[in-house]
Amino acid sequence: MPVILQNILRFVSLVLLQVLVLNNIHFLGYICPYLYVLFILSLPLGTPRWLELILAFVLGISIDIFSNTMGLHAFATVLMAFLRQPAIKLFVSLHEEGSNYSPSLRTFGIADYLKYMLPLVLIHHATLFGMEAFNWIDFSNLLLRMLLSWLVSVLLLLAIQVLKKE
Amino acid sequence: MKNLINFLIKYSVVFLFIALELASLALIIENRSYQRSVFLSSSNSFVSGLLQAVSSVEEFFSLASINRDLSQENTQLRNRLSILQTRLASIEQENYSSITIPPEQECLYISANVIGNTTNRVQNYITLNKGWEEGVRPDMGVINKDGVVGIVKTVSKHFATVIPILNPMLQLNVKFKRSNYSGPLVWKGEDYRYANMGDIARHVNVMKGDTIITSGLTSVFPAGIMVGVVDDYRLDDSSPYFNISVKLAVNFRTISYVNIIRYLNYTEQKKLEDTAEE
Repeated sequence: MPVILQNILRFVSLVLLQVLVLNNIHFLGYICPYLYVLFILSLPLGTPRWLELILAFVLGISIDIFSNTMGLHAFATVLMAFLRQPAIKLFVSLHEEGSNYSPSLRTFGIADYLKYMLPLVLIHHATLFGMEAFNWIDFSNLLLRMLLSWLVSVLLLLAIQVLKKE
Repeated sequence: MKNLINFLIKYSVVFLFIALELASLALIIENRSYQRSVFLSSSNSFVSGLLQAVSSVEEFFSLASINRDLSQENTQLRNRLSILQTRLASIEQENYSSITIPPEQECLYISANVIGNTTNRVQNYITLNKGWEEGVRPDMGVINKDGVVGIVKTVSKHFATVIPILNPMLQLNVKFKRSNYSGPLVWKGEDYRYANMGDIARHVNVMKGDTIITSGLTSVFPAGIMVGVVDDYRLDDSSPYFNISVKLAVNFRTISYVNIIRYLNYTEQKKLEDTAEE
């Protein structure tokens, strides 16, 4: 039960953080970090995959409703949630079958956690920025925007993890 | 049959994944069409209530500068009022005996507060705290003290969403104040301070600093509202048109108070134009 409660709290606080604070950040005119993906990244390993997908959809839609981008965040987040388990199988060496801890810097170790997080967040951001710019062709600008946002998101996500570790 | 059921169970996650992605895609496509459901956007009352609470906090911190702007605008208006009063008085003295018809008022301004705003996306939106009950309707123009902001897109009971110039979906018809040549103004999604003007042929005399105003060719904005000034222009060898970059008059980052233009003869003009097209 505390695990469920912890995840509900994490969901609510990340959505509020994203829509009330981070969505208003336009650092250098390019960069808007998307930290709500931490919820998907931190779901316990034993979560059934169908639940992961549904949660990702609900999370994405919540962000969408607040930022007037119907479906965009939902699409990117569901894709990321779908690739989460394969990413864990592929990149994380210490993973034992049947364990139910939630992925973090401490439980995975820094190397494995980076291997797990970097591609997933990149896929999320690439999908998000790519879909948003669907009808607009300026590829280099788009790429720059995406990579900078990705970098800032990743650094902030790591910062949150390190602070929590203390 | 058993195999089929096994197959379905085995790949149920994949099916769920595809279904959710299709649902998201449907929402995205739906959203790109002009009439969007008010329910799932920021003019939804719960969401806008929250946005309003946040903006009231932001407003508190910018009260000083808003006050200064308002008092400046007040003085300007008072100056104009006094000029007009004297002019009116002199006209009344001249023809007090002739029959006069009062000039019909064309526009009514509804003031509104910005409670939600983005500038860093490709498709930006603004949410206002006035809606259907206050007389706001879709397709009305929105301006602030500096110039054109955008066009009302969807309206709920007490809130409205606006497509600002900072959204490629909006094509604004603008013209040069000096030479009257008109063309469409479109934002290319890069910098919130600049937009691009097209359709100006190469024989037109363009200068840096030329004022760009609304053309009045559509029924959304009256003619002559400030849009921006020419910041830079380029002429490619192969292109018949200038590539003009316009510095927008409105600072979309700090926008907080706007006026919605209610053009009183809108339905009449629209009906007439529609019958002409048939």
